[in-house]
Amino acid sequence: MKHLKEEELVEHYYSQSQSQSQGPDEGEGVAADHLASCAACAADFAALRSDLGEFPAVEPPVRDAAYGEQVWESLRNALPAYEKPKRRWLGVGLGKSLSYAAACGLLAACAFVAGRQWERKQVQTASVRPPQQTQLAPAHPQQRVVVVVLSDHLERSERLLVQLKHADADSEETISPLRDQARVLLAANRICRQDANKADDPELAPALDRLDHVLAQLANHPGPLSAAEITRLQDELKASGLLFEVRVLRTRIPEHRTAARANGGTI
Amino acid sequence: MFRMGKNDQAAIRAILSGDKEAYGALVVRHSHSLFRVAFRITGNEADAEDVVQEALLRGYQKLESFESRSNFGTWIYRIAVRCALDRISSRKGDKGSRVAEETDPEQDEVQLAAQSAGPDRLLLSGEIAALQQAALGALTPTERTAFVLRHMEDRSSEEIAAALGIAPNAAKQAVFRAVQKLRLRLAPLRVRI
Repeated sequence: MKHLKEEELVEHYYSQSQSQSQGPDEGEGVAADHLASCAACAADFAALRSDLGEFPAVEPPVRDAAYGEQVWESLRNALPAYEKPKRRWLGVGLGKSLSYAAACGLLAACAFVAGRQWERKQVQTASVRPPQQTQLAPAHPQQRVVVVVLSDHLERSERLLVQLKHADADSEETISPLRDQARVLLAANRICRQDANKADDPELAPALDRLDHVLAQLANHPGPLSAAEITRLQDELKASGLLFEVRVLRTRIPEHRTAARANGGTI
Repeated sequence: MFRMGKNDQAAIRAILSGDKEAYGALVVRHSHSLFRVAFRITGNEADAEDVVQEALLRGYQKLESFESRSNFGTWIYRIAVRCALDRISSRKGDKGSRVAEETDPEQDEVQLAAQSAGPDRLLLSGEIAALQQAALGALTPTERTAFVLRHMEDRSSEEIAAALGIAPNAAKQAVFRAVQKLRLRLAPLRVRI
């Protein structure tokens, strides 16, 4: 007789409990038949059932009826409204769609040819011009680099804030590397802040100001930080909701990137 | 404030048409179940609250990709499971070793030796619960999540697989490995009780 493997016993245990609420499973019958005729497997199954039966479901702390509304209040301001859907492409009619497609194709071909010719002309001009003029870079690639830096900066800042939030305040070994990271991030944060202020971004600029405040406290404190100071920083971080704010900003970055490309605007 | 009478699908249509406030109804309706699973996976109240917020935020941002045939509750639940998994994965590095020390079999023996001398039964059950939590904390993030979903949330292997983005067989294996490890870690306890 082929005995049931431990894996099959585990599967049977959970299939049994699930079938009570959702109806019987196919493989359950085979395992049940075997258990009915094999004392060794039945004993193993009884031991497994006893072990798992003693492992209770973790009961979460009670949340009152207003919890959902509290969550909504904390999220509400971070959510941008969706734009109303525009008329669908196919809704315009197949004929029109085809003529748009043809026009776009023609436009793309013209742009390609014009681009090639412009490029050749630039190369010829560059060979005649003095070297300092040829080093000028177009504006758009620079803007794109700023987006990448910002997203990277926010990601690293989020990681630091998470580590700070969970850090053991008494452990100098944990805090010391965080302070080194904060020094590096502080410099990057100032560049991002300047850029956000120039772009007059109402959400990014204040958030980076608050981030600057936390990073500066962590990085520039003279001498080692005491456990009480770390705890105070952790409490401040929790109360300000900065970590969540950074997370929200991170999720906005791809949107910005698209907007910058499409509009040729700044970030 | 919230139009609670509307069903999820109607709320989603309203949100995608520009009515941001309609999301409030979905948040209110699903926050409790998300908090429950997030707490069970992370084992920490503050983390669970963060996970709920993050999941609902991601859900809102991805709402356009939500297929109207699906169930919003199931969809947002999966997002929350992923967020919780990410959360415990990111903190696993510094906690794993500590948990392993706490559940050292020799330490279990020391803790339980006093019980034969007749300590209060409540103390014993408290210690058992602590050891069970420690054993749970020693699992890998995927094993822990799969076990919580199977054992505590009563989810099928297929549902676990969909939530974790793995094959159903891999989900079964993760549950099995978790059960095996938990039984192994708690075996000294069983003998002494």
